[in-house]
Amino acid sequence: MPFMPLSIILSALLLFSAPGWAADGEVFPDLDANDPVALQEGSRVLEEEVKLAARPQTYLLIDLVSGGIHIKARGVELHRLPIAAWTAAELSRLTGTFRLIARPPVVRRKIDPSATTEQEPISLSDMPVEYRLSFTPALTMDVESAVEQGAMEWIRATSRKAWTRLRLWKQQLGGEPSLNEAPTLTIALSSEQAQSLAWSTVDGMPAIIRRPSEP
Amino acid sequence: MKRFLLLIGSILSFGLLAALIPHSSSQLQSSIASVPQPLPADPAVLRGLQSQYKSLKKQLAQFAPHQHYILVDTARNHLYVKRSQEIVLDAIASTGSGVVLDKPGEGNTQWVFDTPRGEFTVQSKLTHPAWVKPDWAFIEEGLMVPKNPADRVEQGVLGDYALGFGKGYFIHGTLYTRLLGKNVTHGCIRLNDDDLKSVYQLARVGTPIMIF
Repeated sequence: MPFMPLSIILSALLLFSAPGWAADGEVFPDLDANDPVALQEGSRVLEEEVKLAARPQTYLLIDLVSGGIHIKARGVELHRLPIAAWTAAELSRLTGTFRLIARPPVVRRKIDPSATTEQEPISLSDMPVEYRLSFTPALTMDVESAVEQGAMEWIRATSRKAWTRLRLWKQQLGGEPSLNEAPTLTIALSSEQAQSLAWSTVDGMPAIIRRPSEP
Repeated sequence: MKRFLLLIGSILSFGLLAALIPHSSSQLQSSIASVPQPLPADPAVLRGLQSQYKSLKKQLAQFAPHQHYILVDTARNHLYVKRSQEIVLDAIASTGSGVVLDKPGEGNTQWVFDTPRGEFTVQSKLTHPAWVKPDWAFIEEGLMVPKNPADRVEQGVLGDYALGFGKGYFIHGTLYTRLLGKNVTHGCIRLNDDDLKSVYQLARVGTPIMIF
């Protein structure tokens, strides 16, 4: 009997603390709680994410700080794709929610009812490893393979990087960036992860971007 | 030939230029006045920011399912039942084949056999479900679509249970267990008998289904 008050207190503590503890996952484990700039950026992204998580949909969180593309719904991470490298010409414009308007093209096989053999289904290996995703408001996301193969691929990738850097130079020399041009984010993923991203994207899928705060 | 050499020359010059320009992510970032502006290291400001961040984190956590939820990875053909971070069930599934079938007499319209991506909920739980074959099931086999609705009904092909999640899509059983792990369905999610039974027992009407 003397243990009764103690057990009541313990039970009450468990009752009130458990739901909060269970739901309190760390959204950005790498965030330095003493860095005001990182906190400000974290809050900006969370504000956007709260709006997206309120609706029944999947969305992308492109975390340039931790180096991952997170496929999420209701604030829950469904899948994570590690980013091997990235470049961006205009980080200042990568705020807000972007909606996917153009996905990579997929060649779908057609069922022929008169044929005796079954059509091969599409699989992850049918997805492209290098492609462009276009969003609204204007944002172009180029996905490239982290392991470049062959001279032509190298030339293509290098030319694209050079173009991004030239745009950056132009901005620095000319002052304000042109608002007519879509900001570009180039992301290198492993071939499998690039295919996985192409597979998982759907028309109108929202995306938010967390930018690094370290200058 | 001259044009070709000129093209190759331009590409290589472009590449050389790229190599000369600073190219690491951090170098790029440092040259952009883009990231949030630094704030004064005032303890009161910092506390305010910390409290705002915590409050937003709490708001976000409120949207997460607090009971079981179903997660379907259509690329790798896996279905998980999860509760918070814990995986309660990991099952090999079959999801949409992604192939297309022309709709006869409807111009360029097609059926696309994808498993829909996004967030859904369990809308119905059925035992001993019968399959009411849609038009495409006849057309893809080169058969006439029957006029009598009773001719569409097929028993025993969906397993012992089915969980509907809208627009005719179900999580159900299969006779073709050798095809589990492959993208072979018309959009439904197939499981073996044991996994189907577990999902049926764990899920209730309203359980979220997240598909990517």
